[in-house]
Amino acid sequence: MTDFANIAASAISQKPASSRRRISLGSPIAWIGLAVLILSWIAAVNLLNIPSYILPKPEAVVRALWSGLAVSPASSLGYYLPLWSTLSNAAVGCAIGVGLGLVIGSLMAEVEAIERLVMPYAFALQSLPKVAIAPLIVIWFGFGDGSKIAISALLSFFPVLINSFTGLRAVEPERIDLMRSLSASRLETYRIVKLPNAAPFIFAGLDMAVVYALLGAIVAEFLGAQRGMGVVITQAQAVSDVAGVFAALIILGVLGIVLHGIVRWCEAKVVHWGANRKK
Amino acid sequence: MLMMDVDNAPRRASAAPDDVLIAIDQLSKTYVSASGAAVHALSRISLDIKPGEFVCVVGPSGCGKSTLLRLLAGLDDYSEGRLLLDGETVAGPSRKVGVVFQAANLLPWMTVRDNVRLPLRVGGRHAPAGDRIERLLAVTGLADFGDKYPYELSGGMQQRAGICRALARDPEILLMDEPFGALDALTRERLNLELQRIWQENRKTILLITHSISEAIFLADRVIVMSARPGRILADLHVPIPRPRSFDDIVLHPDYARLAKEVRGLLNAQEHGHD
Ligand SMILES: Nc1ncnc2c1ncn2[C@@H]1O[C@H](COP(=O)(O)OP(=O)(O)OP(=O)(O)O)[C@@H](O)[C@H]1O
Ligand SMILES: [Mg+2]
Repeated sequence: MTDFANIAASAISQKPASSRRRISLGSPIAWIGLAVLILSWIAAVNLLNIPSYILPKPEAVVRALWSGLAVSPASSLGYYLPLWSTLSNAAVGCAIGVGLGLVIGSLMAEVEAIERLVMPYAFALQSLPKVAIAPLIVIWFGFGDGSKIAISALLSFFPVLINSFTGLRAVEPERIDLMRSLSASRLETYRIVKLPNAAPFIFAGLDMAVVYALLGAIVAEFLGAQRGMGVVITQAQAVSDVAGVFAALIILGVLGIVLHGIVRWCEAKVVHWGANRKK
Repeated sequence: MLMMDVDNAPRRASAAPDDVLIAIDQLSKTYVSASGAAVHALSRISLDIKPGEFVCVVGPSGCGKSTLLRLLAGLDDYSEGRLLLDGETVAGPSRKVGVVFQAANLLPWMTVRDNVRLPLRVGGRHAPAGDRIERLLAVTGLADFGDKYPYELSGGMQQRAGICRALARDPEILLMDEPFGALDALTRERLNLELQRIWQENRKTILLITHSISEAIFLADRVIVMSARPGRILADLHVPIPRPRSFDDIVLHPDYARLAKEVRGLLNAQEHGHD
């Protein structure tokens, strides 16, 4: 229950996200931090004699990255095929989760009976670590793409559900009065006032949802799959190729940053009226 | 004692005569607060407003002015009494009414033009407005700002856009709740002048709530003074100053000083717990 409230609260506090964004990529501090990290990594490996099956040398990781990237996109040795598999399944799952989250969140915000019906289950499910359901989902959907899509959808559903519900309820009463004074229909009020008002909240949820969808696909692949970045990681782990695991993690990290950037870019395009622009 | 007690004045025949547009009869409103206590916001208000009249309402804070306006706008239900617009009982928002909200209340995700046009896009079918939107923007000096977003406008311009929006459906009645309260004195006077001009050109019926005695006397045909909560009508003062009025001339008018003194006296008596 508190979990639920916390996420809703964090969704609200994320609204003026511009300050947070500034630290993440463009600032020199981020790059200095990265340089310090890599230097201390090199130092640790060389000075402390850490065996390479625990912490690989940076060169080995770069080599692993290179061998995965500098191949034909159709090569079964490269990252491209598994990346495509993971990404496409995560994208489909994300679309389903976000769509359902938006629809059910809207229904909850609009219809009190639905709110009362769904809210207890949403609370209960929200406090459950949803990754724990993954094995069950694999039983239901098998080891193919179905499980990946289902787990991605499940994980990306909740942040959007909660944020759209919170955002749609956070409308200034004067704006509702305005629409009422114009005898606007419920749908008009939803479309013209509530949805734009909730857009910053929904984007904050979307931001979480894309990363969770990726996480969901990887988890499904860990549990057994033929393709995907999760498989790349488990295969490298099986032969103690720690450098290979690191390389795959770096790929996924970069992917996460790119996805986050895409969501932020879309948000800036859609929420153009200064909810973010005005400090 | 010296005030006209409209509350207890004998009622005329119940059917509203033709020359009454807004008929308020023994209107009461009681809110139930969150703690369950009853808040008597309005107590048996009676007031008739003729078509084309400009009525200003002044009264101490919390006396129920906004409540009265919300009831007229059909945004809240009243507890007792009768409320007629053009002979019809108010049972919800009416097309005959345009509302100007306190803080312009524009939608930030729409351009100024789209905000002003909003009343024509929602709430069912509307008579074609022709170029009225553009004319309204032009009349209020917003012609060059139609494509801007509200956050690109000054407070005074935003409020002008709010007035344009209220006029978009060409309503008979304009209800305004402290429309200029948040503006600086000069902008406020300019908008008062503009409002007087718009009213003289269109002859809407306007009910405007304000805290400013000078604004009320400048704009109004009638100034209604309300008591502290529960709101009752203490006085209904006719303003016989000829129009068009200007701020320079009006302060020299003998009726201005008399009315200002009277309204101030009534309001001060309220502040000091006079009953
Ligand atoms: N929704 C509500 N629930 C309970 N009480 C309310 C509600 N709305 C208003 N009130 C109470 O009714 C009284 C009148 O409120 P109203 O807003 O009409 O005053 P007002 O004259 O407009 O005041 P101000 O000049 O400060 O705007 C106040 O005491 C207020 O606390
Ligand atoms: Mg008020």
